Amino acid sequence: MTAAPTSTATPQPMQPVPALQAALAAEHTAVYGYGVAGALLTGGEQAAALADWRTHEQARDTLEAMIVKLGATPVAASPAYALPFTVNDARSARRLAAALEDGVTQAYLGVVAVSDPTLRTFGALAMQPPANRAAEWRGSTVAFPGMGA
Amino acid sequence: MLAASTTTLPLFLALSACAGPNPLAGPPPLSSDVRGLLDAVTDEQNLIWVYKRTMASYSAVAPALGALLAEHQAHLAQLRAMIVEPPGKTIPGTVTRKPAVPGTAAAAVAQLRAAEQSATTAQLRRLARAAAPLAQLYASIAASEATHVSALTALARSPG
Repeated sequence: MTAAPTSTATPQPMQPVPALQAALAAEHTAVYGYGVAGALLTGGEQAAALADWRTHEQARDTLEAMIVKLGATPVAASPAYALPFTVNDARSARRLAAALEDGVTQAYLGVVAVSDPTLRTFGALAMQPPANRAAEWRGSTVAFPGMGA
Repeated sequence: MLAASTTTLPLFLALSACAGPNPLAGPPPLSSDVRGLLDAVTDEQNLIWVYKRTMASYSAVAPALGALLAEHQAHLAQLRAMIVEPPGKTIPGTVTRKPAVPGTAAAAVAQLRAAEQSATTAQLRRLARAAAPLAQLYASIAASEATHVSALTALARSPG
């Protein structure tokens, strides 16, 4: 076998703190966004949004602790975030929830690019719950969670 | 944030550094990344084979499984695209595991679910030591497979 991987460049690994800060920023966005989405949902969907909101709060706290442990100051949440589209009914709220989860999944994919294997595995495992939630809110799976189109 | 995508994944790595007294004596050994890629390709081929057999055996679940199969075919294409096939050489296309399809649709779906779970674990094992762009591809595929586990869990409740 002489197959070789394609090769033109070897990119530099992502540094841990910026990768974790990006994930934290995505979690802040999700916490805010679920507040918007949840207000437009009812019944079981609102309960799901509340559960997801709490999950993102816990993930935020975990990331903050990790960043502090690395000697950095965690990025703070913004008072408000620009939504990617108009959110004014249940349908757009579900779409927002999926978009929030996609954003979090993508941010954790950045953590996978660090060189520390433990942190890498953390990032890869952390991608899976938001990928699942995105699929739930969207109603379908995607082939490459966290990666752009 | 790192902007990764299936179309812009940085190309990566070369074969293991040439070593030994006579580099022209034969092809250089495969790097760990190449070996990992080939294993990943084989795993995808195995999964695709099981999906196709299950769909052929149980038409009631075939529509639901078709979407997941398509994603595995996308995974396989992306993994294969990461490897250059020199002229006259091809990446192995052999299916190495051909489990029997269980006797009920529910059991067949459960078998697929277990295979997806196992595939996720294998991707996580591979990514720890892979080059960063390849690790991200494995992580994304693992996340996809995790969503398949959930989808198959739901399908197992009502396999039709």
